[in-house]
Amino acid sequence: MNATTLSLKLLTRQSRSGALIMLFAGLVVATAALAAVSLFTDRVGRALERQAGEVLAADLVVTGRERLPDAYLEKASELGLETAEIALLSTVLFVGEESHLVDLKAVTEGYPLRGQLKLADRLDAPEETLAGIPEPGTGWMAARGLRLFETDTGVTVDIGRRPVTVERVLAWEPDRGGSRFMLAPRLIIHMDDLLASELLGPGSRVRWRLLVAGSESAVAEFRRWVEPRLEERQGIETVAEAEADTGRALEQARRFLGVAALTAVILAAAAVLLAALRFSRSQRDLVALLKAFGAEGRQILLALTLLLLWLALAAIAVGGLLGFGAQAIIGQILADGPAGELPPARLLPLLGSGSFTLLLAAGFALPPLVALRGVAPMRILNRSLDTRPGLAGGLWLLPILGALTIPVLQLGNLRLAMIVLGGSAVLAALLALAAWLAMGLSRQLSKRTRADWRFGLAGLHRRRGQGIIQITALGLGLMALLLLMIVRTELLDQWRGSLPADTADHFVVNIQPDQTEGVREALIEAGAQNVQVRPMATVNLIEVNGEPPPDHRWAGQVNVSWIDRLPPANRVVEGEFFAPDATGEISLAKRWSERTGVGLGDTMLFEAGSRRFEATVTSMREVEWESFNVNFFILLTPSAGETLPHQFIASFRLPEEAGPLRAVQQGWPNVSIIDIGALLDRISEIIDRVSRAAQVVFFFTLVAGLVVLLAALEATRDERRQEAALIRALGADDGMVRRGLLIEYGAMAFIAAVLATGGAALTGWLLARELFEFAYRPSAGLLLTGFVASFVLVIGSGWLGNRSVLKTSPIRILRAGG
Amino acid sequence: MTQSGKEILSARQVGFSVDAPGGRLDILKDISLDLNAGETLAIVGASGSGKTTLLGLLAGLDRPTSGDIRLIGAELKSLDENARARLRKRHVGFVFQSFHLLPSLTALENVMLALEIAGFDKPRERALGALDQVGLSHRLEHYPRQLSGGEQQRVAIARAFAGEPDILFADEPTGNLDQRTGESVADLLFELNEHHGTALVLVTHDMKLARRCGRVEEIEDGRLLQDANPRETQTMEPRETRDYTEEL
Repeated sequence: MNATTLSLKLLTRQSRSGALIMLFAGLVVATAALAAVSLFTDRVGRALERQAGEVLAADLVVTGRERLPDAYLEKASELGLETAEIALLSTVLFVGEESHLVDLKAVTEGYPLRGQLKLADRLDAPEETLAGIPEPGTGWMAARGLRLFETDTGVTVDIGRRPVTVERVLAWEPDRGGSRFMLAPRLIIHMDDLLASELLGPGSRVRWRLLVAGSESAVAEFRRWVEPRLEERQGIETVAEAEADTGRALEQARRFLGVAALTAVILAAAAVLLAALRFSRSQRDLVALLKAFGAEGRQILLALTLLLLWLALAAIAVGGLLGFGAQAIIGQILADGPAGELPPARLLPLLGSGSFTLLLAAGFALPPLVALRGVAPMRILNRSLDTRPGLAGGLWLLPILGALTIPVLQLGNLRLAMIVLGGSAVLAALLALAAWLAMGLSRQLSKRTRADWRFGLAGLHRRRGQGIIQITALGLGLMALLLLMIVRTELLDQWRGSLPADTADHFVVNIQPDQTEGVREALIEAGAQNVQVRPMATVNLIEVNGEPPPDHRWAGQVNVSWIDRLPPANRVVEGEFFAPDATGEISLAKRWSERTGVGLGDTMLFEAGSRRFEATVTSMREVEWESFNVNFFILLTPSAGETLPHQFIASFRLPEEAGPLRAVQQGWPNVSIIDIGALLDRISEIIDRVSRAAQVVFFFTLVAGLVVLLAALEATRDERRQEAALIRALGADDGMVRRGLLIEYGAMAFIAAVLATGGAALTGWLLARELFEFAYRPSAGLLLTGFVASFVLVIGSGWLGNRSVLKTSPIRILRAGG
Repeated sequence: MTQSGKEILSARQVGFSVDAPGGRLDILKDISLDLNAGETLAIVGASGSGKTTLLGLLAGLDRPTSGDIRLIGAELKSLDENARARLRKRHVGFVFQSFHLLPSLTALENVMLALEIAGFDKPRERALGALDQVGLSHRLEHYPRQLSGGEQQRVAIARAFAGEPDILFADEPTGNLDQRTGESVADLLFELNEHHGTALVLVTHDMKLARRCGRVEEIEDGRLLQDANPRETQTMEPRETRDYTEEL
């Protein structure tokens, strides 16, 4: 019989062996987790690729805070390039009494130069690709915007003083760019409408973009011409830069899911190793027999390797299907959120996850099987002549190398992989230590208990090595799921609840000096509370102590304000805040100082227009940023600030019973009202969606934990049946055997559930303290639910896995050797 | 405990068969025997002759396919597994060839577990007394892996006698021990048997051990060789044509 036939016979004849099923299950879970994440990642990657040329809706974009000079436009036309202009602005729109923040995009003829817009006539109408831009007086709004306003096409909104009718639903715009995490829905209008709206007062927060497209050489020529002419606050964007921006957010989501998948893979690897060891033990007699009958070690080795290969291929097929289903769920959950519209999944990434599975099988399951090669044929005559089953020293390197390679390949980042691996190892070690201590305690308790408890707890103690692995594996999976549940349901709500009642929830920006009193009064009339209006100027930081400023994105162009006394929610931590009539002094926020390295006593030189002025840092402030008051990194003395060209910014709280801000917006069309509450809602929604997607992946982690549990159960089944037969022979009835098992699994479930719930609550608390800076109080209800669910899951799986033990006949004790 | 002379075990036309791929396989056929309180009986036979299966049936670990067994006055056929377990825990003790101690329990806890299953009061005190009787007072907190084979079997004997059973079933009690240790364990077994007045059913290959019993029954191909008049075997010398120990 050749090795292939032998391997197939071994596989088919043992297909109902528990160890083989567990080995298969471990490989399936690992494949499914990896397939789900890599299929999803592939869809995201292709979505980004598809946009590569379109992501700017142009080949090159010149950006500016002011409208770009006509000379740029003329030069582009002269070079034979197509051009279009875009203005972007966030503003609050009103429909009836509903007001929402909208990302306004005003465009000129020709937009988009690359890519196409997709539109629909109504919310539920089919989308179609359309060339052209909205006619003046009309606009195209994203579906989300229409849903927010609870309306459909045909509605008229006021853009400043200009009424615009929404004629179509915007389904797709190529240059959403970094707006995948766009906080407000888009409204595209004609440039003429924006220019006539009076929203564009001096200092307005409009971002201008000049789109250019054409032949590569002409674009390069234009770039060479325009670069030296760029003014302050103007810049150039190319496709590569835009892509990097767009990709960042999704790349983070991908890594997050990758980490989640990795924990599932690590646990599945543990299950594969346990099952493979058990399977290899069960094959020793067979191998000895085959050898006694004359099979060569090499032939047996080849047959066992092939057997593993068939098993892995089957697992890749089943796991691939499961992963395919899971990625569809992830895509669905993220569809309305950061993932946006994704291309359909394809099968190619399954090749990658399939290779991982083969690596996993080779690293974790092959060494125990290869070790069978060394089984002595004499075993068949006398088992005591057999060598100890196990792995030859060098073979252990395979699983270790496998364990290290998989995360590196999966995450594509050695450092991150090491952090994840190290972090998981530390967490697993802590869980294992806690499990070990808890088991020691249960052993002590068992000495004071009666027969069934003694039997149950002794079983737990006897298999404590495996018990610790099972508790750690399940604890990790359960903890991850519970933590995500805590973040989704409680952490964000509690954080928002922890903010003081008068925390500002709205900003008004771009208030001109002559509008401040009017706006303030209108706000107060509308019911706004805690209104604070502060001046703001944008200046360039030229030098620090006579040297160029540090190369940091927070240095360079900075927003400054001025005030005659220490503002609320600020605390001086170093130096002394300047006197109202002081000159040449400056106060820095500690956070800014830490990032840029500028500190107390340093002299800073600023430039505003043609004016330059110098000041020395005389105090450092700790700022409560979460107060959402208007706060600034850099505060000047009033004497320095009042001479700068400036505008005002207001923050206030709008109680629910207050009226709408329509009067403010209509009275001063140039100002922009920003609803922080709505922003927070949107951020919460995104976190909620990403957490839910991660839960899908962490579900595999939990399943991997369960496979570890079942693999360990499988490995000890004979032992358990032997014990059950013994106590049955000694006179124990069904009830006692059942109670013994329940106690053993109950204790294990209890320890795993306590560790998972406690670990999740503790991690939630740490997250709250470090990221959100508030004291999180886990709700008893959620923790209790998590605890009960974990407990029932573990005890239920243990129970199901042990059914055969309950059926053990006591006669077995006479038939089996010790 | 039952009174000496009173019948404690009786088997009538007991048969046991299993379904095998080639058809029905008869393991035991038409077995009849009796045992009174305090008596000792050895069952000898070659490997595969069915002696261990017979021991299991007599002890109520399984039910015969045909015939009747009465143990301590109870008809085993009419009892389900749990009822037979209840009968065993108060009246039956076991000693096994492979000792079958629970490895996660100490010597003392192993003895206590059996007493607790049987529902005895003060299991600890009883277990301490039983271990003292087998000379293991100094090994109470040792785990099975820390004990020699002979010591493990002595713990098993202490476990068997601690509940003062009416009848003790021993399956090759010296089979896993060297000759000297085996003899000392056998001495202990018969000493305690005499002391407690317990009936003893012993399955063994070892004719020397078998001869120490009051009666020997030989089983071959599932049948007792002298089953015509079970009472007569008590007075007969056991057949010595074969020494099963040699067969090993």
